Amino acid sequence: MLLRPDVDDFRAIAFYLGRIFLVVAFAGVLPLLWASLGREWGPFASFLLMIGVYAVAGTAMIRVAPREQRLDWGHGMVVVAVTWLVVPAIGAIPFLLSDHWGGPLDAYFDAMSGLTTTGLSVVQDLDHLAPSLNFWRHLLHFLGGQGIVIAALVLFAGGGATTLYYGEARDDLVLPSVRSTARFIWSAAVVHLAVGLVVLGTIAWVVLGFDWKRSLFHALMILFAAFDTGGFSPQSTSIAYYHSAVFELGVAVFMLAGALSFGVHFALWRGNRRELFRNLELRTIIATFVVTMTITMIGLAAYGVYGELTGLTRQGFFQILSAHSGTGFSTVPAAELARWGGLAFGGMALAMALGGMSSSTAGGVKALRVGLTIRAITDEIRAVLLPHGAVVDRTYFQYRPRRLTDGLAATVMSSSLLYVALYLVGAGAGIAYGYPLEAALFESISAGANVGLSVGITGAGMPVGLQIVYLLQMWLGRLEFVAVFAFAGFLWSIVAGR
Amino acid sequence: MSLVLLALVLAVSTPVPVSGAELVADGAAYDGELVVVEGELVGDYGRRGDGTVWTQLNDDPYVYEPVAEGGPLRGGNVGIGVRIPAELAEDLDPPGGYRIRGPVVRLTGTWRYHDPARGGESYLDVVALEVVEPGRTVPKPLHPVALVVGVLLLVVAFGLWRSYVAERDRL
Repeated sequence: MLLRPDVDDFRAIAFYLGRIFLVVAFAGVLPLLWASLGREWGPFASFLLMIGVYAVAGTAMIRVAPREQRLDWGHGMVVVAVTWLVVPAIGAIPFLLSDHWGGPLDAYFDAMSGLTTTGLSVVQDLDHLAPSLNFWRHLLHFLGGQGIVIAALVLFAGGGATTLYYGEARDDLVLPSVRSTARFIWSAAVVHLAVGLVVLGTIAWVVLGFDWKRSLFHALMILFAAFDTGGFSPQSTSIAYYHSAVFELGVAVFMLAGALSFGVHFALWRGNRRELFRNLELRTIIATFVVTMTITMIGLAAYGVYGELTGLTRQGFFQILSAHSGTGFSTVPAAELARWGGLAFGGMALAMALGGMSSSTAGGVKALRVGLTIRAITDEIRAVLLPHGAVVDRTYFQYRPRRLTDGLAATVMSSSLLYVALYLVGAGAGIAYGYPLEAALFESISAGANVGLSVGITGAGMPVGLQIVYLLQMWLGRLEFVAVFAFAGFLWSIVAGR
Repeated sequence: MSLVLLALVLAVSTPVPVSGAELVADGAAYDGELVVVEGELVGDYGRRGDGTVWTQLNDDPYVYEPVAEGGPLRGGNVGIGVRIPAELAEDLDPPGGYRIRGPVVRLTGTWRYHDPARGGESYLDVVALEVVEPGRTVPKPLHPVALVVGVLLLVVAFGLWRSYVAERDRL
């Protein structure tokens, strides 16, 4: 029998939601300071309003539940799902007031795209946007990629830590407790940001010849988007703006770092090189990267898109790394990407669909699921080929030896199929709006896998219905379905429960 | 030097007027051609060690009707990369950005599509630059209502927090 949630259920949810809103309110102080230093008074006022709304929402909710509440699995999932719906709604206020977005839906779309580290955008006249607003766009990548709920866990210890952690689509704990794992995740991000700021900032200053302030600005924006596999950029031409192979190489390193799981980061930090050779997920992502890059390169070569090897290698490598890591940076215009037909299109679409590693900032099916699916299938084939009664070894290595049970295999395949369904539904919506199959499929995968590459469908003036479909795809893809399904069940229990 | 180069180039061919949108949409069609394109310089002037300046030329509706001056929103920017000899870019006004409408220029140069010498980049290799309109600052709205409402909300939030702390301590 379905139970209707009572007051205590709502209090438990409100208690944790309130804390998370307060964390985001504090994060909003950063762009506020940026705006005041840059004397950008219009954005300053809009950030103040946004912080005020977050703060009132947060304090009102914790006022409703002044004592720490017990958070069960379902409550945690609802908290996570609602967080990822409401935080971008309030975070869209500065966009809406900036005159660079067409309306509330456009502003919400970009805030959701930022938070889910997708990178699709409907911003208009980006090249004249206030730096503080650009900072907020990219900070949303950072908050979303690292996990705003995890940020709350770092700041507030609480009884609901575990369910919130898993609800935000994280897998294994790197350290014994959720809180220490959350701290490691944020520490790793801060270290990457610090190193990256020096590396990319120096390249921008010395090689690109920007002045030092703009060098730091570009380095910070690109780092947020690269390490958190987001894809927003401060200029309308994305990474093509920089016209530098050295800068692209620097960006590629941080895109790669973002696509690696925090478990691999932890192993590297501890000098555990054996892990790199045995880890199923790492081996899988290397294999899929090589396969998709080969497919794309052959496609580009066959179509003669680039006349010689250096162009083919540089452009092909960057685009496929961007697609596979789920970043969404580009060095070619959307109109040109749309003409990458045949194998090149297939390679890019496949790379986007597969995505990065689990417990990373990347989206997509994830290499662990791909690896386990392949392993389950090959185990079945081996079982058929071996003599009757022979035992197939079903262990695999993922930070430690594990066993691929039938239950795990079924779960992994179900999740993978859900992603395929998500991509197909979005593609169907695109086709229904009159876009060609290839373009509709590409854009749908980009939204559902939180990539951000575009062949030109997403943009100002796109059909409202399709925009809403992509919004839902970004939300579902980022939370990997479970929290959203739990939220839907919670809403249903309000209506139909007893 | 650049004037000599320009004279030589213009002597052998006449530049084709083209829009930024045409170059973005079908860059291959103009590969190697001498073209002339007009627009606003935006972003940064990347002054490189080889005596060139890299920047972006936008050829979109915002060039002549900036949003901050009441111009309507008309979609995303349309920009191409441009490489300008440093001596042509010495006296340019600051590039366009927030509160700045950059200089509007007419650029003559060779369109290089997927240039093998630059790892497949596409850009305009400029040989002549003419300033059509100097850059200028543009006003931006202040949003006083948002400011006042934001302050009021923060006051309310502070009151709620105080009330929460008192209640928590009482429990």
